[in-house]
Amino acid sequence: MPERAGRRRLLTTVLVSSLALVAIAAVPYTLSTFSVSLVTLVVAAGLLAVSVNMLAGELMLVSLGQAGIAAASAYGVGWAVGQGYPLAGQLLVALAATLVVSAVYAGMSLRTSGIYFLMATLALGMIVYGLAFRLSTVTGGENGLAGIAPPAPLRQSWQFYYWSVAVLVVVMVAWTVVQRSPFGLVLRGIRESESRMRSLGYNVAAFKFAAVMISGFVAGLAGLLTVWHSQFVSPSSAGFHRSALVVVMVILGGAGRTLGPVVGAALVVWTEQVVSTHFERWPTALGLLLVVVVLWAPGGFVGGLEAARSSLRLPAHSRTKG
Amino acid sequence: MSLTTLATQVLNGVSFGGLLFLVSSGFTLIFGLLRVVNLAHGALYLVGAYVGIATYTATSSFVLGAAAAAGSVALLGIGLERTVLRRVRGRELSEVLLTVGVSLVLADLCLALFGGDPKQVDVPSALAGSVTLGGFAYPRYRLFVAALAIALAVVLYVLTQRTKLGATIRAGVDDREIANALGVDISRVFTGVFAFGAALAGLAGFIGGGMLAILPGADVDILLLALVVVIVGGLGSVKGAAIGSLLIGLIDAFSKAWIPDLAYFTVFAPMALLLLLRPSGLFGKAA
Repeated sequence: MPERAGRRRLLTTVLVSSLALVAIAAVPYTLSTFSVSLVTLVVAAGLLAVSVNMLAGELMLVSLGQAGIAAASAYGVGWAVGQGYPLAGQLLVALAATLVVSAVYAGMSLRTSGIYFLMATLALGMIVYGLAFRLSTVTGGENGLAGIAPPAPLRQSWQFYYWSVAVLVVVMVAWTVVQRSPFGLVLRGIRESESRMRSLGYNVAAFKFAAVMISGFVAGLAGLLTVWHSQFVSPSSAGFHRSALVVVMVILGGAGRTLGPVVGAALVVWTEQVVSTHFERWPTALGLLLVVVVLWAPGGFVGGLEAARSSLRLPAHSRTKG
Repeated sequence: MSLTTLATQVLNGVSFGGLLFLVSSGFTLIFGLLRVVNLAHGALYLVGAYVGIATYTATSSFVLGAAAAAGSVALLGIGLERTVLRRVRGRELSEVLLTVGVSLVLADLCLALFGGDPKQVDVPSALAGSVTLGGFAYPRYRLFVAALAIALAVVLYVLTQRTKLGATIRAGVDDREIANALGVDISRVFTGVFAFGAALAGLAGFIGGGMLAILPGADVDILLLALVVVIVGGLGSVKGAAIGSLLIGLIDAFSKAWIPDLAYFTVFAPMALLLLLRPSGLFGKAA
């Protein structure tokens, strides 16, 4: 009996994921260029939300300044393009900027937890914003940097779409593997009780530092996708509003759920880009939605789906028992 | 730097610090008792500013404008605490996220109702103009803001340290459960303190309208400054908020004069440094 149930579940998983793959692959063939660009935006925003969800899910650390890391990476590319560096040089500069800024965030995570981490990252994000605004010789100040095109094989919107999806999928699969690794288990142990893990002999500081660095690296990737997509970066990309929206994505989709951030990103980007053309008060709608989710659906959209599915399953389950 | 410019910068710092204290004292009071990081505090400031300006324009009474700003935002605070925040009491992250949602809604509604053009409070003639202080002129209104902040600090000190209500609030800060068990209706105290903190934010918005432009985005700016102040001073400590306000006000004034390129950085960097070295702030209790 359990064997058959297991086989059935495997079959469902294979079926659902191949359907999802077909749907993902079909996007450029069935949708308009505008819609493809919109979906790409969802993917890029989703990747940034994934980076927030990594820390929120495994360590209960909510970063309210994650856009600062993404912006550092974007400015890195933008500056390198302005200097006339080749692609490898651009990527190296972006990576260096990402790692340096992430290290500051990671250092902060060692000293703070809970709401203090939230406020510390908020401040760090605002420092990046302030620097982007003021160091105009490097960042272009208020006008930002423009003309940041992706490498030639990714210039078409469908090419860039597939590339973005590939990055997102690789990151999500890799993170699922990490979550199940001893490293991931230690992180969850730290979330449950930092002091207990410390007395078990784990170097809690090193694990937290590494986790924030990994999350920062993913945020940097998201920054790269975003800047290649819009070919432009300005201080607002590091601002409080950006970072807050990313957290809203994670919460709406379902914090700690693998697919949550991407679903949340789709909801937010759709509200921001599509609903806004019909309904001017979309921030109000988004704010109300956040309040409703926090109050009545703490698992977010994905958590709600899970709950609905398990309540559908329950009768069958009790039948086998009885 | 001449003595006059030095004195001007010091006064700029002190008066801006005064405004920061009006905002951050409410923020820190709310955190001290309810343990809520109210990220909607900036939005409350903005609501207060707009309501105050509208009332002031309609009645041409500065006092009525201030009263309307404080009163309307206090009512808003009561509504928020009773209907929304109460449901997730004690779950820190949920509380913070709720206030983020509320701030999105409030800021957007302000934009809908009052538009996006910068607004300012036309200071009444009694507070307008400048006073001559030992050879240089300084805006009278900025001195008024500094004086108001000092008066508020005194009132808050007397209220919390010398009255029965203050003792009740301090008891709630130290140990909610025991205070409740001793017969204090702690839930009513919670609502009261939240309303009072909100009223201070609303008042600060109207008063700040005489110094700074009121426009969409001003809510985030002032919220971030208030956050810096209370983190430097220590979350929950009114004394910390006072000293933090003065410190950040002065840093802001001098960095704007000396290194305008890094004005933003110089305010946030001390906060990051302090969080790294002493996360509980100058006067905060260790977490």
